[in-house]
Amino acid sequence: MSEHQPPHKELPEAPSNTTTKGITRRGFLKGAGITAAGTALLDGVQGLEQQAHAAVPGDVKEYGPEPFLVTLHINGKEQALHIEPRTTLAEALRLGLNMTGTKVSCDRGVCSSCTVWLDKMPVNSCMTLAIDAIGRQITTIEGVSADEHLQPLQAAFVHHDAVQCGFCTPGMVMSCAALLEKNPHPTEADVRLAVSGNLCRCGTYPKVFAATLDAAGQLATKA
Amino acid sequence: MAIHTPHSASDALIGAAADKNDPAMKTAKMPIGIPGFTLHEEERSVPVSEPPVWPVNKDLSCVGRPQERWDGKAKVTGRARFTADVQLPGMLYARFLNSTVPHAKIISIDTSEAGSHPGVKSVHVIEKLLGSAVLRDPSLEQNRYPVVRYVGQPIAAVAATTPHAAEEAAAKIKVKYESMPFVVDQDMAREPNAALVFPGAADEAGTAGGGGSASDTLQSGNIHGPAITRQGDAEQGFKEADVIVDARYTTQVQTHCALETHGVVADWKPDLLTVYASTQGTASVREELAAYFQLPVSKIRVITEFVGGGFGAKFGAGNHGVVAASLSRTAGMPVRLMLDRAEEHVSSGNRPSSDQRLRIGAKKDGTLTAIQLISFGTAGCGTGAGCAGPAQNLYKCATLHVEENDVFINAGPASAFRAPGHPQGVFALEQSIDELAARLNIEPLDLRDRIDENPARRVERQLVRESALWKSRNQIPNADRGVIKRGIGFAQGVWYRNVSMNSAAEVRVHKDGSVEVLSAVQDIGTGIKTVLAQIVAEQFGMPPASVEVKIGDTNYPVGPESGGSTTTASITPAARDAAWQAAQKFLATVAPALGVKPDDLTLSDGMVRSASSKFQPIAFRSAAAKMDIDQVSAQARRVPDYAPKKYDTIGGVDVAEVAVDTETGRIHVKHVLAVHDCGRPMNPGQLVSQINGGVIQGISYTLFENRLLDPDYGIMVNSDLDKYKIAGSYEIPKIEVQLTESYIGQSSTDASGIGEPGGIIATPAAIANAFYNATRIRIRQLPMTPDVVLAALNQPQPSMESL
Amino acid sequence: MNSFTLADCSTIEAALLQLKNGATVKAGGVDLLDRMKNGTDTPARLVSIRNISALHGVQATPEGLTIGALTTLAEISEDPTIRAQYTILSDASGCTATPHIRNMATIGGNVLQQLQCWYFRSAQFQCIRKGKEICFAFSGLNQYHAIMDYGGCPAVAPSSTAVALLALNASVELASHARRKRTVAIKDFYVQPDANPHRFNIKADDELLTAIHIPKPAPGTRSAYQKYGEKESHDWAIADAGILLEMDGDICRHAVVTMGAASPVVRRSPEAEAALNGKPINRDTARAAGLASMTGAMPLSMNAYKVQLFPIAIYRTILLAAGQMKRDHGAAGEP
Repeated sequence: MSEHQPPHKELPEAPSNTTTKGITRRGFLKGAGITAAGTALLDGVQGLEQQAHAAVPGDVKEYGPEPFLVTLHINGKEQALHIEPRTTLAEALRLGLNMTGTKVSCDRGVCSSCTVWLDKMPVNSCMTLAIDAIGRQITTIEGVSADEHLQPLQAAFVHHDAVQCGFCTPGMVMSCAALLEKNPHPTEADVRLAVSGNLCRCGTYPKVFAATLDAAGQLATKA
Repeated sequence: MAIHTPHSASDALIGAAADKNDPAMKTAKMPIGIPGFTLHEEERSVPVSEPPVWPVNKDLSCVGRPQERWDGKAKVTGRARFTADVQLPGMLYARFLNSTVPHAKIISIDTSEAGSHPGVKSVHVIEKLLGSAVLRDPSLEQNRYPVVRYVGQPIAAVAATTPHAAEEAAAKIKVKYESMPFVVDQDMAREPNAALVFPGAADEAGTAGGGGSASDTLQSGNIHGPAITRQGDAEQGFKEADVIVDARYTTQVQTHCALETHGVVADWKPDLLTVYASTQGTASVREELAAYFQLPVSKIRVITEFVGGGFGAKFGAGNHGVVAASLSRTAGMPVRLMLDRAEEHVSSGNRPSSDQRLRIGAKKDGTLTAIQLISFGTAGCGTGAGCAGPAQNLYKCATLHVEENDVFINAGPASAFRAPGHPQGVFALEQSIDELAARLNIEPLDLRDRIDENPARRVERQLVRESALWKSRNQIPNADRGVIKRGIGFAQGVWYRNVSMNSAAEVRVHKDGSVEVLSAVQDIGTGIKTVLAQIVAEQFGMPPASVEVKIGDTNYPVGPESGGSTTTASITPAARDAAWQAAQKFLATVAPALGVKPDDLTLSDGMVRSASSKFQPIAFRSAAAKMDIDQVSAQARRVPDYAPKKYDTIGGVDVAEVAVDTETGRIHVKHVLAVHDCGRPMNPGQLVSQINGGVIQGISYTLFENRLLDPDYGIMVNSDLDKYKIAGSYEIPKIEVQLTESYIGQSSTDASGIGEPGGIIATPAAIANAFYNATRIRIRQLPMTPDVVLAALNQPQPSMESL
Repeated sequence: MNSFTLADCSTIEAALLQLKNGATVKAGGVDLLDRMKNGTDTPARLVSIRNISALHGVQATPEGLTIGALTTLAEISEDPTIRAQYTILSDASGCTATPHIRNMATIGGNVLQQLQCWYFRSAQFQCIRKGKEICFAFSGLNQYHAIMDYGGCPAVAPSSTAVALLALNASVELASHARRKRTVAIKDFYVQPDANPHRFNIKADDELLTAIHIPKPAPGTRSAYQKYGEKESHDWAIADAGILLEMDGDICRHAVVTMGAASPVVRRSPEAEAALNGKPINRDTARAAGLASMTGAMPLSMNAYKVQLFPIAIYRTILLAAGQMKRDHGAAGEP
């Protein structure tokens, strides 16, 4: 599917315990770590709350908790969508934009199935708030190859059968592609390091190493 | 053996005499054995409708050759849509509320606050729980809600317009528990005064992937068993032995860790329930939903285009499937319910543990006189911990005594996990056999030659002998003097050539020359899609990339489950037969327009050719244009094995080289040589990938993985991929795979399976035997983490005589 | 994750003004998001400092090095100056987590990282660190826990960079709106569990960690850090060693031996250091130092192996620092 999908039509609904101004007293207190017994000490907390949402200095941007519209720069295109502060980049891509090439598997930044690039740097999109991707160049697996044409690395993955179930594959490709951008002549040790954060349960590792080294060889020949 | 002739309509008669006794059968001469070693020809009696016999792979043009994965492109571009990626208009997101206590009666469940949370469209409370063992006498536990038997057991679920809303709402479900005593330690659970997981005998049905136990098995406390298997008089056998090896082995609980968790998207419409499922068995999902909702199977459609790993855990609809369907029915909208990683670890299945006491008796010349295995293992609140398969099936032994016991604990139920019982059983058996070899002063491969009758493994052992790796092995253990000790060890495994008759395929030829193959079988990463394309391509004489493969949908002809290593053995003959029949029909359809008799026509290299010299070869597509109907198709189901009971096992041998750091206790696996047979290899590249996967899972199981339950609270403390440790890129050795073609003359493709025999069964034992070779110390427990290794190395060294 | 408001600040002062009423700082967010997803932390308000460029970067000063708190672990591990002259820190940064995490995780966040004890990280266990009276690890699963100095909480110090910074005698700079900026040595920064189980460090809630200051090591100083896990590709330390050797020719004038995975707070081992001070570095002295490091070790029910493993980690890292041994194949980070 192309990355030109329009943003997901439905607005995520705000949680019920919010006021239009922002967080409720209860949510505010919970976040402040104050127990019910301590509330007596905070007469006027409502007033404080209103203060926090008064006009803020220019060097602070306030977000949420309600959804708001952002523009993210993804695969060379501007994409508008609604997010909340708690929306991760993975959620924004997968649910907000129907860009499901990026996978979520562990949701804790350990398996790297969710690898995307921020300014060409591989990161775990499940552990990145979408807010933190504003203003950055985001590259996803959908952006690695335009339309039907595979990049040499992707073709090498297919040729070497570095793919089994395919769930870890986008993350592997993103990690290996980032390596080749930075180091066109990697050793096997370099490849192992580059994917040391990518988990694969089917066991594609040996062929991921081979495919990446093969692609590097091809790129070297072209250059 | 004759060189393969291109497909011909008259091949049914060439070189095949009709069986005199049964006109429905004919005699076929098939290649049997291992090329280069034992290849010969045998006759089989096969149905007349069967296609001509295929020669060995070197004489085929597509099957058996490297062929890129059919859906590789979709996977490397991120276009492949897994169940977790399916988005339907109006789709809701569901989330479970799971128990926080290990054993309790549920007094009440209040979903009112959850139900009124913004965005929530439906709520479901579980009253019938799938997966755990079930009391033989249900009257022992009478309650509206299922008894909670482990922390993390699903209790209820909500469906809401956003995942966040569902998460928040689920947290608002209020459950009142009446806690009961619990036990999560397997040894404690065996004690007479242990807390009881079930108040009476409980049984679990086996799944397509294995497990389960007979419903008359004894149960005493939490011990469900023994299931006893006897052959001859083992006690007598031990009396006749010159040498007895007797040892205890323990292995841990392992979780599957498929990268895509269990889950479905269920879309309940008035006339049809459509379920997108991350499953190894589209039919199994459909059946379980039909039974649960009392629907005809024809009102349920299951779609599985891509699956992010299964490894045995993904059969049936599961609680997530029936709950998502219920939520969808109530909400009137599609519902996606995917487990999160913690739920996946806790409630979606695991490989049971094992505690095995294994005794082997042998004569001086190695002949086995007796094998006795008493095993206990926990499958949580389920059953299926048996691991006696290897003891029963790997070696020839006159007598056998096996007792398998399940031990209930308050933990998530097990499910089949890649060769259920076999890594555990082989870990024990192959170490004891190696120990026997040392005691008898017989070389380990030579001992196997004496006691293992399997012809394929004999050849595989010979290939091991000739390998550079094995030749570099020190025969005397503990040869290295330094801190890092190298060792090389051998082990072998057995699996079973199961076939599912629930296998059918349809091949369609269209007037524009396009050809497609359809089956409800699913591809869980094993590559069956590619193999189906290769088969049709071979039969039609066209490139595999031009064959359209449509699978993973119950709208298509029934397909086998992807478990038990049965897929390739089951579906490929059906696909070939369908291709053969469709090609015959196609040729019969176009022959009149081409002015020739169909019997004269053949298909090869994208062309239609004729034996008759008057006929100019014509491109397939041009011939198809002459069809007098838009589509010609044939559907075929798998016919039974030609010679059942013969060659009913598949297997292989593994050699592992390790470097043991005797100061840190860390084991580094440097090199694994895997020599395996799988009938006719259909796609060598994909087979190597499968074996790599099995080896790597075997290494991971041996060195790192462990499902850890806090003993005081019953909570799994490592329900993530951070502290539940699976092999990563630095843990991967050099893996060398040798595929042994092993023709057994069982079907029109003669392919078997590889998923289970390939790597995971014997690698742990090979590593353990390599450890012994490196250090002269046996580690009889898994996982071999540094603390275990250091403790073993710290032991006072046994004297030479007792080895 | 719970719903929250987020204040995205572009200056330090703006961020400091936001630090009140329980607002939680977010830098790289790696540790914070893990805790929020686990449900152990539910802040209603995050103050994001990610875009404060003033907090980013490595600067050489006459005194040594100043590293902005937002400098990532990847940047630190690859910085040529740090690699050459503060090797122990580039080692520690480079073997933390995964390459993906290192691209996002900041040195400030890593130093402030909370405990990795699985009871602590689980919302189902309310332990001594969360205001209750009980520790679950003592009678529970403690194979990865501490072997010394644990008092009432045997979780181990989670930050490898803190081990390195302790050896380098580094300091953290803390800024607040209400008070003067202060600089606190790492050795004084962390709080022992028995002193106060509810605080991991002495940074006040209205303070921001803005920079790390590292004094320039004496000429001829050699340093290294190695971490041993069960796995090599991403694992937590079961033993680790930070070594800094001020060499006078062949003699070690002054040794610093630090550990993270032995105790709740990163610590030096005076016993190990005494075995090296004034002596040549060789296998014998390195091994003696390793063994001495376990003085006073009191392992728990499941982690006695650490008492055997730490001396190995330490002696090998001493020899690595001294250039007498290659990086251990079994130590994480480099194949």
